[in-house]
Amino acid sequence: MEDAWDIACLLIQLWFSVVVGLIMLPAMCGASLGVTEIYIKVLVKTLEWATLRIQRGRRDRPTLQSQLSNGLIDKEDGSMEEEIEELRGSRPKPLAGGEFSLGDASYFCRKGIESIVEDEVTHRFTSEELASWNLLTRTNNNFHYISARVTIIWGLGVMIRYCVLAPLRITLASIGIGWLAIGTTLVGLLPRSREKDWLSDRVHLTCYRICARGLSATIRYHNKENRPKKGGICVANHTSPIDIVILANDGCYAMVGQVHGGLMGVMQKSMLMSCPHIWFERSEMKDRNAVANRLRAHVADKTKLPILIFPEGTCINNTSVMMFKKGSFEIGGNIHPVAIKYDPQFGDAFWNSGKYNMVSYLLRMMTSWAIVCNVWYLPPMTRQEGEDAVTFANRVKSAIAHQGGLVDLSWDGGLKREKVKEAYKEEQQRMYSSMIVG
Amino acid sequence: MGAAQSGPTEHEFQDIADRTGFSLEQIRNLNKRFKWLNNHQETLRREDFEKVLNLSRNPIRAQIIQAFFDKRNFGMNEVGLVEEIGFEEFLTVMSYFKPSNKKLTEDETEALRTKKLRFLFNMHDTDNDGTITLEEYRDLVEKLLSTCETLEQDTAKDIADAAMLEVARTTVVHMEPHEVYEGVTFEQFQQILKGLELETKMNVRFLQVNTTTMHCGK
Repeated sequence: MEDAWDIACLLIQLWFSVVVGLIMLPAMCGASLGVTEIYIKVLVKTLEWATLRIQRGRRDRPTLQSQLSNGLIDKEDGSMEEEIEELRGSRPKPLAGGEFSLGDASYFCRKGIESIVEDEVTHRFTSEELASWNLLTRTNNNFHYISARVTIIWGLGVMIRYCVLAPLRITLASIGIGWLAIGTTLVGLLPRSREKDWLSDRVHLTCYRICARGLSATIRYHNKENRPKKGGICVANHTSPIDIVILANDGCYAMVGQVHGGLMGVMQKSMLMSCPHIWFERSEMKDRNAVANRLRAHVADKTKLPILIFPEGTCINNTSVMMFKKGSFEIGGNIHPVAIKYDPQFGDAFWNSGKYNMVSYLLRMMTSWAIVCNVWYLPPMTRQEGEDAVTFANRVKSAIAHQGGLVDLSWDGGLKREKVKEAYKEEQQRMYSSMIVG
Repeated sequence: MGAAQSGPTEHEFQDIADRTGFSLEQIRNLNKRFKWLNNHQETLRREDFEKVLNLSRNPIRAQIIQAFFDKRNFGMNEVGLVEEIGFEEFLTVMSYFKPSNKKLTEDETEALRTKKLRFLFNMHDTDNDGTITLEEYRDLVEKLLSTCETLEQDTAKDIADAAMLEVARTTVVHMEPHEVYEGVTFEQFQQILKGLELETKMNVRFLQVNTTTMHCGK
């Protein structure tokens, strides 16, 4: 009995020293041992091989074709006016008052059917589909038995992900979060000084780096010279709560959010001690002026860290950027746009909050292959003379969409939960009326 | 892995393909869409169409949705409405908007036009008495025009009335003074819309999606 206990202790000690030595220390210095890079390369090769086997197994189409963008139908590009003109064709217009024609209804009919077959909005709230299989069968609908080899590799993959990687990652994540709480509390005890700020930065960076290792995240930062500076506001597209870890790996930001209870609340309090973040009570959030004032005060103080805001307000599936809420763009100061694009090959980072809660989402993240993403820092933008907040928000949104290769949509992310507002429903009718009645 | 599939199988897809003229690939895609709309149930109901956000902007959404549940459109010479439809009926209604991909003879083109015209007619003729009465016509015009204040209350009514009068003038060759105009019959409907190239305009161009995709459904 005692021998078993000794062996267990030894193993645990070994485990921890491996973790500390190979992962934590490099993380603190910001260095990397290159293990993750090799892992990713091996992964890519394996996935390509698996895909080719599946193609061959299918037997009808041998070459690796990539899927067209989720298109079922080829939509006409004309505006309502053009199309109705075409519809009427060369028919004489015999109607006295108003140019109404019986056949116009067929235009709306067709548009309606097109929407039923495919609409560009709702499929942004579900995960992106991949052209090739990445050996993850989460909710399995399409898996067919192809060959013994692929199944074996898949089985191996499951074992590796759940038995080797997941425990490692969970350990790291807990260490990261624990260290964040403890470290920031300790730093918070110091008096205000430059050293305190520097130390607080170090602690934050280390913890976020450990967390990133805990997700096997490989992040490539582009255009680091445009990194957000103090006294600015950083805006980014939102895909999941992991975005914060991704961005905070490379710089320190002041977070904005609601005060939570429980573990989150404890962390928020300790983070607040070491450097000024902005946490709002639930009641304060309703008062838009108060919110704006607090943000403005923070931005005006040039010694404070840049604020991190996600103007979409909700998680989108990383194929498009939806409407930016104008509140953040009314504050003033420099806006530093950042585009984040995840590579869906290795793991789907999108948090479908209707489907999964936070814990199951994190577990899914930790049992994916890896999180690979690109972060582009865009040059700062400011509101121009005479430009209103909405136009400015759209300008920033286009820049982010363009850089990240995402589709720029003007639909509101809030549609995930609510129905279309009445005002929008009337829009088509208004257009048609103005054509007929003038 | 290999979960028991409810709903049509590949074999049935082939049957449906032969009947409606869609390709196998298109049917598979539409089946996925059908399942998404009705949350993987067996049948589709009216409420399921509310998931399509773009449709809520369409002025005649109610009529379009109604068309899916209208037995007249199922090609079996029945009348009445149903509460829920299966995948086959869904496809049958969709096939009204399918362009033909082969060269058609004069007769075939005419038949296609008539089919599409019938669909449109059924959509207008809500009580299925064989004519589009003034009420039904007015109803449609009101739906298409905006209800906001820039439009007078009676404008919609006036437009509808004027249009009906015009229809009566052009189609009914000979009307006795005491005759009351009943409404637009299908033949008159066909005549009015003679110049309309429905067979090309009332089409949804389904792409021939040529892929070897393995969807990782997550």
